[in-house]
This record gives sequence, C-alpha cells and structure tokens, in this order.
Amino acid sequence: MNPDLIWRYAPSLISGFGVTILCWGAGAALGLLLGFAIAVLNRLPLPPLRWALRVFVEVFRGTPFLLQLFLLYAGGPSIGLKLNATTAGIVGLGLYSSAYFAEIFRGGFSAVPIGQIEAAVSIGMAPFDTMMRVMLPAALIAAVPSIVNMLIILSKETVVLSIITVPELMYQVQTMAAETFTAFDAIFAMAVFYWLLVETVSRLGSRLEARVTAFLAHEEARA
Amino acid sequence: MSAPMIELRAVGKSFGANEVLRGVDLSVKRSEVVCLIGPSGSGKSTLLRCVNFLESYDAGDVRIDGRLIGYDDAADGTRRRMGGRQLREMRREIGMVFQHFNLWPHMTALRNVVEPLRRVRGLSAREAAERAMAMLTRVGLAAKADAYPSRLSGGQQQRVAIARALAMQPRLMLFDEPTSALDPELVGEVLEVMRSLAAEGMTMLIVTHEMGFAAHVADRIAFIDEGRIIDEGPPRRVFHHSAEPRVRQFLQTYHDRNSF
Repeated sequence: MNPDLIWRYAPSLISGFGVTILCWGAGAALGLLLGFAIAVLNRLPLPPLRWALRVFVEVFRGTPFLLQLFLLYAGGPSIGLKLNATTAGIVGLGLYSSAYFAEIFRGGFSAVPIGQIEAAVSIGMAPFDTMMRVMLPAALIAAVPSIVNMLIILSKETVVLSIITVPELMYQVQTMAAETFTAFDAIFAMAVFYWLLVETVSRLGSRLEARVTAFLAHEEARA
Repeated sequence: MSAPMIELRAVGKSFGANEVLRGVDLSVKRSEVVCLIGPSGSGKSTLLRCVNFLESYDAGDVRIDGRLIGYDDAADGTRRRMGGRQLREMRREIGMVFQHFNLWPHMTALRNVVEPLRRVRGLSAREAAERAMAMLTRVGLAAKADAYPSRLSGGQQQRVAIARALAMQPRLMLFDEPTSALDPELVGEVLEVMRSLAAEGMTMLIVTHEMGFAAHVADRIAFIDEGRIIDEGPPRRVFHHSAEPRVRQFLQTYHDRNSF
C-alpha cells in the first residue's frame, strides 16, 4: 500500500469515477425509459409487436454485455453507426439494462391487483388514464426493490466499458496499474470508489422504498 | 311508461364448459332496490358484473335505461362488441361497489373520489375537490379525507368506495357483496349508508348475504340458483312463503347458522 501513489493518481481516478457515474446514470436512465416503453408496448394487443419485443429482450438478456458492447462499438460503423466510446458505452448500458427493466416493469404491472383496475374500468376511466393513474403507480411501487437492485448491478457492469476505452474508473485503474506495476493499490482504490457508489445507491434506494410504501403500511402499523 | 332502469332478458354466460347463467330475466325499475341472494357459485356476482359489462354475456340482452350495453345490434340481426368510448359512457352512469372495496392504495381517500371526477367527468380541480368532500361528508368520513386506504378500517374503506361511486352521480348503483369482507361490527355502518341511499330513491341492485338488510330495504328479492332465478318477489313472500324447496332449504340453513 503506497499512499503517495494513490495521491498522485487521485485526479485521474476521480475523473474516472466521474465518467463511471455519468455512464451509469445516463445508461440507467436510457434503460429505464426503454424498458418502461417495452413493458407498456407489450400490453398492446399486437402479436407481431410483442413477438419482436420478446426477441429484443431475449437477445439482450441472453448474451454477455461484453459481447453486445463490442459489437455496438466495433461493429456499429459497418452499419453506419459511428459512436464515440463513451456514447457507445452509454447506449450499450441502456440497451442491455432495458431488457431487464422491461421484465421488472412487466412483473410490476402483473402485480397490480385486478380489483384496482376493475374499479377504474367500472367507473368509465379511459385506458390511458387507467394506465397512468392507477396501474403505473401501483406497478412502480411493486417494482422499486427490483429496480434498485438492477441499478446496483448496472453500476458494476460499467467496468466492462473499459474494454472499448471509455475513460471510466476501471480504465484509469488499469492505466495506473500498468504505469506503476502496482496492481494491488490500484484495485484497492477502485474497490473503495465502487463501495462508495453502491452504498450510496442502496441507501437512496432504501429511502425511496420506504417513501413509496409508507402509505401501504398495513394494519400492523396501526396496531 | 319509460323503460326499466335495468332490464335483463334471457341472459346467458359460460366460462368454457361451465354454464354460469342460464337465461336470466330480471328487471329493476327506477328507484327500486332489488337484492340478489343465493348460494355461492350460483352466478349472482357474475350476473351483477354483466350489468356494467365488467363481464361479457354470451346470450340475451342487458339494457340500461332501454339501451343495450356491451354490444351493438345491427339491422341484419348480427351483434358486435360496442366501441370502447360508448361503453365507457354507459359505465359512467352505473356506480359499482365491490366486495374488496378496490380503493386505489396510492391515493388518499379524497384523491380516490377526486380522480374519477377529474379524469372521467372532466371537472376542474376545485369542483372535483368540493364534490368529493361533500360525498365523504355524506358517508361520514370528512375527517378521514387525507388518510390513505391502509389507514382506514374495512367499513371506512367501503364507505369511501361508495362515496367514489356516488360522486359520479350515477343513475343506478350495483353492489357486489359490499359487506362480505367486513368484520361483523363494521357491517352496520356500510348498510346504514346503503339504507339512506335507498331512501333517497337510488336504483340499486345488490348481491348480498345480509338477509336482514335485504328483508328491510329491498323492494324485491331475486333468488338465484345454478344460473337461474328460481324465485322472485317481495321480501316477505320470498323469505317466508316461498314455494321453492331450494329457497326454503337455503334460508333454513342460513337461519340455523345465525341462531344461537
């Protein structure tokens, strides 16, 4: 353990951490948005669309993220899709996680008690309002723990972006290790940063969970 | 003579091979209160749910104030599903109260009543809040306006659900075993609200196991067994002088179970 070394590389490590957070945040936002869209579109009575979405989800869940990212970055230009490394990393994370988020939202929707939907239908509420006002909040509440879990997994998947030269934390750590021949210090520094990130995310997640479920607290809370 | 508020003619419904309704005829006049009673699995809830087309029926007609619900009959005798918009327009006029209340748990009591007024009736936020508050007051729950359903007792939740349906100013109300999920001591407060509604002249079709309530409030009782109405008439006659052995047997069992 050499504190001087870590101190010397601190700026690049911190900048790498910043890029990690950027990629994670942007990728997760994209994934959540796409995943939600997939889950909603999946509810439309259009078999060909559902089939296509199924294929999309299966492909992105069924292949390694490393492979997807490499194909996107290296194979993209051959179909005219030229992305810089960071953009490719964000898009890659977004596509990959969207498949998982889609499944999480699907589970959330199917967890909405049928009675709540029937109440909306019987009162004459339009399908769009029923979705936005009744189903979505209930589905989100049911999905929050799984969403937080996926966000944590995703934060650690960002290390894979280093192979396409995104200057995120793992990339900086590898550079540091290569330049100083001190694998342990570099990896220790990385572990601390990730631990910080995951800890923060999971704490925020618990808070969010507590907030959204506060009013669902049942009888026992009253007793 | 205007059309009955609810008119069922030869209504049939099957779930796969299971024939749940076998040609039901029933009519409910304006301001009339009709209670549907019968053993569980007899089809009474299904019948009620056909009235607002929450359940589709396979045969016969269900008319609300003279208008067929759920289907459009063409001149050539063919029938097709009614458009979503028309169906929603009809459902707005039919209030429904469920056994398990079905309040939206992520909304306060007030919000549960406000939301349909805003989204379905298109009221402004202020108008909706005013009317919702008036309805909660009506069911005795103005003080609980800001409480979430999980903080309310079953009886209070059901009263909010009644307020939610009532706020829409429906022409008739359907009740699907509204007190069956309640602790016995909470049944009374819900029945009290229903009794006052009946007194005000609301047209009501009620599936219930509360024989005392049915006897006192209903204008007519319809007894359903195996998908058919096997007896129908004023409470006094059905409860005490039914010629149908099945009805007498059911009431006897009920009586035995509730006496001690």
